[in-house]
Amino acid sequence: MQANVGAVASTMVQEERAHRDARHDRLFSWLLKGCALLVLASLLGAAGATLWGGRHAFGTFGWHFLFSSAWDPGSDTYGALVPVYGTIATSVIALLIAVPISFGVALYLSEVAPTWLRTPVASAIELLAGIPSIIYGMWGLFIFAPFFADHIKPWLTNYLGNKPDDGKLSWVAQHTFVGKLFGSDYPFGASVLTAGIVLAVMIIPFISSVMREVFQTVPTRLKESAYALGSSTWEVSWDIVLPYTRSAVIGGIFLGLGRALGETMAVTFVLGNAMQFSASILDPGASIASTIANQFSEAAGLQKSTLMALAFLLFVVTFIVLLIARWMLRQLAHKEGR
Amino acid sequence: MTESAAAGIHPQSAASPAPIAPTKIKVRDLHFYYNGFHALKGISMDIPEKKVTAIIGPSGCGKSTLLRIFNRIYAIYPKLEAKGEIVLDGENILDTGYSMNRLRSKVGMVFQKPVPFPMTIFENVAYGIRHHEKLSRADMDIRVEQALRSAALWDEVKDKLKQSALGLSGGQQQRLCIARGIALKPEVLLLDEPTSALDPIATGRIEQLVEELKNEYTIVIVTHNMQQAARCSDLTAFMYLGELIEFDRTEQIFTKPSKKQTEDYITGRFG
Amino acid sequence: MAGNSSLYLRRRFTNALALTLSTMATVLGLVFLAWILWETLRQGIGALTLKLFTKITAYGEDGGLANAMVGSFIINLIGILIATPIGVLAGAWLAEYANRTRLGESIRFLNDILLSAPSIVLGLFVYTIIVLPTTALTSGNTTFSGLAGGVALALIALPVIVRTTDEMLRLVPSTLREASLSLGIPQWKLTTQILMRSARSGIITGVLLALARISGETAPLLFTAFGNNYMTVNPMDKMSSLPQVIYQYANDPGEAMHAIAWAGAFVLTMFVLLLSLASRLVLSRSKVSHD
Repeated sequence: MQANVGAVASTMVQEERAHRDARHDRLFSWLLKGCALLVLASLLGAAGATLWGGRHAFGTFGWHFLFSSAWDPGSDTYGALVPVYGTIATSVIALLIAVPISFGVALYLSEVAPTWLRTPVASAIELLAGIPSIIYGMWGLFIFAPFFADHIKPWLTNYLGNKPDDGKLSWVAQHTFVGKLFGSDYPFGASVLTAGIVLAVMIIPFISSVMREVFQTVPTRLKESAYALGSSTWEVSWDIVLPYTRSAVIGGIFLGLGRALGETMAVTFVLGNAMQFSASILDPGASIASTIANQFSEAAGLQKSTLMALAFLLFVVTFIVLLIARWMLRQLAHKEGR
Repeated sequence: MTESAAAGIHPQSAASPAPIAPTKIKVRDLHFYYNGFHALKGISMDIPEKKVTAIIGPSGCGKSTLLRIFNRIYAIYPKLEAKGEIVLDGENILDTGYSMNRLRSKVGMVFQKPVPFPMTIFENVAYGIRHHEKLSRADMDIRVEQALRSAALWDEVKDKLKQSALGLSGGQQQRLCIARGIALKPEVLLLDEPTSALDPIATGRIEQLVEELKNEYTIVIVTHNMQQAARCSDLTAFMYLGELIEFDRTEQIFTKPSKKQTEDYITGRFG
Repeated sequence: MAGNSSLYLRRRFTNALALTLSTMATVLGLVFLAWILWETLRQGIGALTLKLFTKITAYGEDGGLANAMVGSFIINLIGILIATPIGVLAGAWLAEYANRTRLGESIRFLNDILLSAPSIVLGLFVYTIIVLPTTALTSGNTTFSGLAGGVALALIALPVIVRTTDEMLRLVPSTLREASLSLGIPQWKLTTQILMRSARSGIITGVLLALARISGETAPLLFTAFGNNYMTVNPMDKMSSLPQVIYQYANDPGEAMHAIAWAGAFVLTMFVLLLSLASRLVLSRSKVSHD
């Protein structure tokens, strides 16, 4: 009987403790959820803040804003075309260069290189991703842009461009749009192409590490059965590995694109920051991020609002690109059954 | 297949070995589903107090699942559902009102692989106690020592209580987990293939320990090792494809089982 | 027969060409790495002087980067101090509470996006929510501050920490959860005292990686911490940082300023690379001790 009383008392203590634990657990899970929701809040906040900041620009210029190449602080008229074009052009050039090279790197690291060499080379390539973007910018400004101006640009303008030094147009320049693309009489190294190349170097480690990772998810039996049919390494990679990993490879490329679109420092140093439109990729230009970095501190009124509006555009576009990237990457994870 | 189905028609008959002690856990018509899969099909059995009950059967037969319902550890995963009754000391632990805290202080569990917490040896044992009881420093020392002694580990670790538990051998870690479980003074101890990750010597020590612990605890042990069941249990339940085929005194099961499937399994004809 | 052997030759040639090109791509990548590091090393070490660490930027060509280094330290510290607790708790929620729930999956997905969101936009966000309101409060004096810079960096560090915490906690074997819950220990204690302790070195790795990431960030600091030619440790004050001064000096026409910028770039690069090396060491150590 006494034992029973004791048991009842201890049961009550236990019930009380259970209630307390449940309460603490609930509070704790709310706290955690609150922290997790901050991730959501940051994204929404960034979009909302820039949209709010850009409302004057959107209101003043309307849809015309997107297609106007005007940028005149004197008359307070601004259009998004030049920075938007610069952003897209540098990113596309970066992708055109980085994608094949990254594929090569990934192929080398997963199929070609001797095993003992793979880890050190992969770590070295990943080291590229760890270098701060401002270092890329400095290297681009002081080392690469002059090198480009001395050794690469003259060749491009003379053989491909429509403004060669000696005035003699090449066949390509005469008959195709390539002439416009490479025509320039701007004497310095800063240009859309330079920025694209520096961006390419920056995003190679991102794209190649994604590619390498997904290449390793291809089941060995799949590759082995292709090898057993007498396929060469290249054929296995191109016909088996690449189709199998296609969505994730595209995801990796979009991830690189997302990086390139939003990159500020590396681009700002080597783009030349010219706010007028030029069809030539050897002329200086401006990107959204570089325009903001250069002008925001001194801007006021409508110009500041315009920069905010540009930031909003940049944010929305990168968001969509990254959304596609992550979604594509997830496809493969699902295929693996995770 | 037809045989097992035929055997499944009379699950009740399996639930009643001649009583050797008062019933501690009474299982009635227990069904278990995960993601729609019917994993346990109408299990009924009476588990006697302060005896060792072994559950054997081929892998996938539901023996671990059954054990994991006894302390409702399955409830931490979504989409799992148990139906039926498990009556512990007169109360159905599957009732939503039954406090998990209470259940888990009454029913301790030891897992396949030793899982020491990333803390000192002393803390591993004290951690659980501290959550359930407020003890003085001295009382705690005594309690931890008792638990470690009961788990036959004290002599090996008494000089290194402040060292990380991760440095112990696998067998020692498993005995530490047993000590951690019995430190809460549970009434039932569930052992889920406790020796499957251990070498024969460590296994021997755990079996010896089970023999000693049954004086104080009701023990349910799931094992894939038939000799182990034969060596250290009083009752043995044989499960197959989510059904309880036969449940009887251990010597009965191993000498003259009443079901053909049990005999086939024990003589090694399948599984 | 002749057709077959020419096909065979062509296939062999394609293969050899592709493999050669892929090797060349890798060599090209390594050349760029070596080139960038070599120039940073060469130009940076050449300009490395003691006054870099003792004098402030107010002296210009004759000055150093002392205030920028102190500023970087404070801003990074604020960023990490804000991002670490929030990131670890959010990561724990993803791994322990919301794993496989719809909201959890969405937030995990969005966190991955925040991970590569343009940092300059996050800088503008912080400008809007911190600099602008405080400016309004102080009747129009623009109130750039080290604190605002720290918050901007926290937003960049946050997704890194969330992701590593989430991943590391999910690597903790579920038996540990079961063992703990079977002792009746509530989930909040399990999460904070057992799971986080098991995943500790992984979480530290995440924090170090986040620190490496934010140490090199420039863009979001331009209109949050802004810059300051004098030494200050007051987080409510404008504050300079290493990347921001490098940016400013590199755009300066003076050669001497470029030298200082290179020296700063060298210090920054070494710091960041050492950090990522350290984070790898912590992680590999933890892998050894787990077995």
